[in-house]
Amino acid sequence: MDTKWKKSKQIISFGCFFLGVTLLLCNLGQVFRLWSYGQGALGRVDYQESAEFRSYMADRLEELLGIATGGKGWRYYGTSDRGAYRSYGIGDAYSWDYDGETLDRWLNEGTAVQEAVPEGIPSVAQEYGWDSAESQETLWERYPEAYSEYWNRPQNKKEYMAELAQNKNVRYAVIWQGKLIYTNIEAWEDRLKESWEDADFYKDLDPEEYNFTLWYNRAGDGKVQIVKDNVEEEIYGNGMYTDDSLWFVPGYANFNVDASAKDAVIFLAAAKEPRLYITGNYSEYGTSQYGGRLYYLQQGLRDRDRSFRVHCGFMAAGVVLLAVSFFCRKEKRKADQAIAALLGKIWLELKLLLLVLLPVLIFLMAGREELREMLYLLWYDGYPGDVIYFLGQVAGKGLFLCSCFWLVYLLVLDLRLNRGKQKKPLFDSLRTRDLQYPVQKRMVRRYWLILASVISVLVLAVLLLILVIWLDNQFDYYGSFYTLFAMTAAVLLAVILLAVCVAVGVGSLGKNRRLAEDIGALSDQITAVRGGNLTKPLVLPKDADLAQAAESLNEIQRGLEEALREQMHSERMKVELVTNVSHDIKTPLTSIISYVELLKQEEALPEHVREFVQILWEKSLRLKTIVQDVFDVSKAAAGQLPVNMEELDLGRLLRQVLADMDSQIASSGLGMKTAVSEEPLFIRADGQRLYRVFQNLLQNALKYSLAGSRIYLTMTMEGVMAAVYLKNTSGTELETGKDFAERFVRGDSSRTDGGSGLGLSIAKSFTEACGGSFRVETDADLFTVVVAFPMSAK
Amino acid sequence: MNECVLVVDDDREIVKAIALLLGKEGYQVLKAYDGMEALDILAQQPVRLIIMDVMMPRLDGLSAMMKIRERKNLPIIVLSAKTEETDKVLGLSMGADDYVSKPFNPAELAARVRSQLRRYTLLGDINAWHDGDEIWNGRLCYRLREHTLYADGEPVKLTATETKIVDLFMRNRGRVFPAEEIYQRVWEEPSFAPENTVMVHIRHIREKIELNPREPEYLKVVWGIGYKMEKIKTDH
Repeated sequence: MDTKWKKSKQIISFGCFFLGVTLLLCNLGQVFRLWSYGQGALGRVDYQESAEFRSYMADRLEELLGIATGGKGWRYYGTSDRGAYRSYGIGDAYSWDYDGETLDRWLNEGTAVQEAVPEGIPSVAQEYGWDSAESQETLWERYPEAYSEYWNRPQNKKEYMAELAQNKNVRYAVIWQGKLIYTNIEAWEDRLKESWEDADFYKDLDPEEYNFTLWYNRAGDGKVQIVKDNVEEEIYGNGMYTDDSLWFVPGYANFNVDASAKDAVIFLAAAKEPRLYITGNYSEYGTSQYGGRLYYLQQGLRDRDRSFRVHCGFMAAGVVLLAVSFFCRKEKRKADQAIAALLGKIWLELKLLLLVLLPVLIFLMAGREELREMLYLLWYDGYPGDVIYFLGQVAGKGLFLCSCFWLVYLLVLDLRLNRGKQKKPLFDSLRTRDLQYPVQKRMVRRYWLILASVISVLVLAVLLLILVIWLDNQFDYYGSFYTLFAMTAAVLLAVILLAVCVAVGVGSLGKNRRLAEDIGALSDQITAVRGGNLTKPLVLPKDADLAQAAESLNEIQRGLEEALREQMHSERMKVELVTNVSHDIKTPLTSIISYVELLKQEEALPEHVREFVQILWEKSLRLKTIVQDVFDVSKAAAGQLPVNMEELDLGRLLRQVLADMDSQIASSGLGMKTAVSEEPLFIRADGQRLYRVFQNLLQNALKYSLAGSRIYLTMTMEGVMAAVYLKNTSGTELETGKDFAERFVRGDSSRTDGGSGLGLSIAKSFTEACGGSFRVETDADLFTVVVAFPMSAK
Repeated sequence: MNECVLVVDDDREIVKAIALLLGKEGYQVLKAYDGMEALDILAQQPVRLIIMDVMMPRLDGLSAMMKIRERKNLPIIVLSAKTEETDKVLGLSMGADDYVSKPFNPAELAARVRSQLRRYTLLGDINAWHDGDEIWNGRLCYRLREHTLYADGEPVKLTATETKIVDLFMRNRGRVFPAEEIYQRVWEEPSFAPENTVMVHIRHIREKIELNPREPEYLKVVWGIGYKMEKIKTDH
């Protein structure tokens, strides 16, 4: 309940703020504009105070002066009041007034022009295909013949004056050389042609009805005298006519009249409440309206006053609402935060788009009337100034102003309250979503994206082409603005979509290009890892497609490095262990050997004891060999075997080994078949270690060969490698799938005599320590060892 | 004879065994079980040679050797279970005259003792012998005019071919001879399968001059290249 109240309070406070600001802003422009007109606003609805009225009266005076003195000026003023421009009723007397209401009336009724056309024109105009929607100026331009005909025909002054008399809003009396010649004051109409002798026409008018009088030359001084509400008005100021002077009438020091005008006296009175005077002249052309100009002037001022009051009222309401929202500003702030939270959920791209599009949309909406007018004008003959004028009009509109305010308000809210809490841009969230897929799926998706964008671009391009051609045709003839507008918008939309499609396509292609680069880097890295680089990881940007794969590879690399390090560590530990153990074995072994030696030297031993001693002697010596071999092989396995590499002739080495073991071979009863070329074959190795390799291999062969069989020692060149093959036939059956180079593996597990069981293992590790390769092959009973070394360039 | 040999090792059985072995050879043997004891005995007894283990309590072999070397000039044979090349080099560079790794062959040890003693006693005044026509190499001496090789001052009985080979090697100590060259220079005829012939002779010579023919110090095979007489310094 409490929270509900709080929530509604928030809504109310923000609603107040919203309404208040909107009312204030929407009406501010209007109020300011109306106020700037002065007249009509702020209760000043007396039309007689307006410039239009003054100008009207001055014109009338000039017209009547012209008529009195027999001049022609009245013809050209054309101010016969039979139907005046209604638009003249308000605002600047000689410019367009686009106050919505009046404009609408003008446009919809279309009567102003019709009524303004002087008598006689309609028949001529109809003859020329006259269009009532066109202005008088245009008419004049289009039908100059009709106009000159009208202006040049002899005009009956009497007729004209009869029309003038119909306007009862202005009462007049024209006196020429002391005689009254024209008047529309009923009391004087039968006293025409009589001498005037300073009669006061005013006394025959109702002062309540006509509160304004103007005398010209009443005192014979050629000056004008104005009385309004029984108060004489100051007209001439310092006596000089300037722009700022209120009345354009004779009598200024710099505005004199000719001599004939000195013979004329004019009386004018204006009604307090102007009315329309309508005459049904059905025998000729329907009704005629008279006195409309003053009537509409008054009405316009009233309208203006009314709308000013309404706008002021709205503004006041806005201020009150703002005050209310100010009192609940705490709640309003909470409402702001709620709105900001909502804004925070909108993607950044959408926000930016709205920020750009909304003002344009609002502008178009708020100023649709003005824009239509502007387009209309531009369509015929516009000037850049018109555009600026119309744009300014629209910008000043309340709807536009307050829409812009709310846009800015939301923007500020978003920037102020959502700092760091912004929703990820759509692009980013798409990217993140993209990253969730495995790389192959991503590539497939991208492929479809590229395909779709290519197709879209093609389709849009064709569409755009059609649109542009169509639009071009539209401009050739008179088309509807709305259609034009819609099509222009469509073209714009198509261009935007095209750009988006191209961006998506190019973006996807770019991603695939980066992917290709990353694949290259990954493959290089794999090669590097294979080549032994276990320390330098592959660093790809976090959002790269292959970041995961690279990370996996790095992990493998780390794992390998770790394993290798551990292996090296354990090998080192093993060597240490073996070293320590062998040391600990060697010490007691020394004693054993020494005492067996002492025993051997005992002469008084019986024969069988002597035999025992001999066995002890042999076994202790074998133990000694094993200890040394274990030590060597473990060192070699740990990569700690010191090697002294030098250039040597592999063939010579083999011959030397054979010579060294000559007696052993001879006593074995086995045949030795060698194929070692005399040609020097140089390799790089440690001679001493290699001697051990071949010595071990030969001893192995001698030990395990079938009695009476032959051992084959062959040296060949295989490409860049020098290979030594040692083949022998095993005395016992060879187990298949056995790694004979493994430590302590023997061809015959049951045999225990001689050797440490490390012969092949030592041979292998020594070969590899010297940079060669060692391979054991078995084929039935054929046992083959292949030792290969890369040949030296020499 | 009755030369006095000091055996130092913390392993009492080994000391006893060595003492028995050397006693049979006719040496008077003194026993010590660590470096300090050895120094004490040295201060009291006229010792001619020391056999000393490296790893011992209280004072290790190498430290004891350095102390002994400060005052006395007598042959020291180092015994060690460590067989690494670096250990050997370290021992020899710190003043040892010979290095025997455990487990040793008693006969070899006896031979080394004999060799060292002969060089220090019988050949004490080597320069007096010297008349310019002999080539010294370690414990070997080849007299050019006599065509005789002496090992530890004793003449070595060699056959004519062996003497020719020794002559070639002693004149060119340190140089490596391929088997063909040795054959051509000794037999003075083109070689045919020289490796075996040369090797047989070398093996024979080794048995006469090396203390341990299985691990020769002087006549060495340079595997894959040839044979050579190692150039060894004669410390006199």
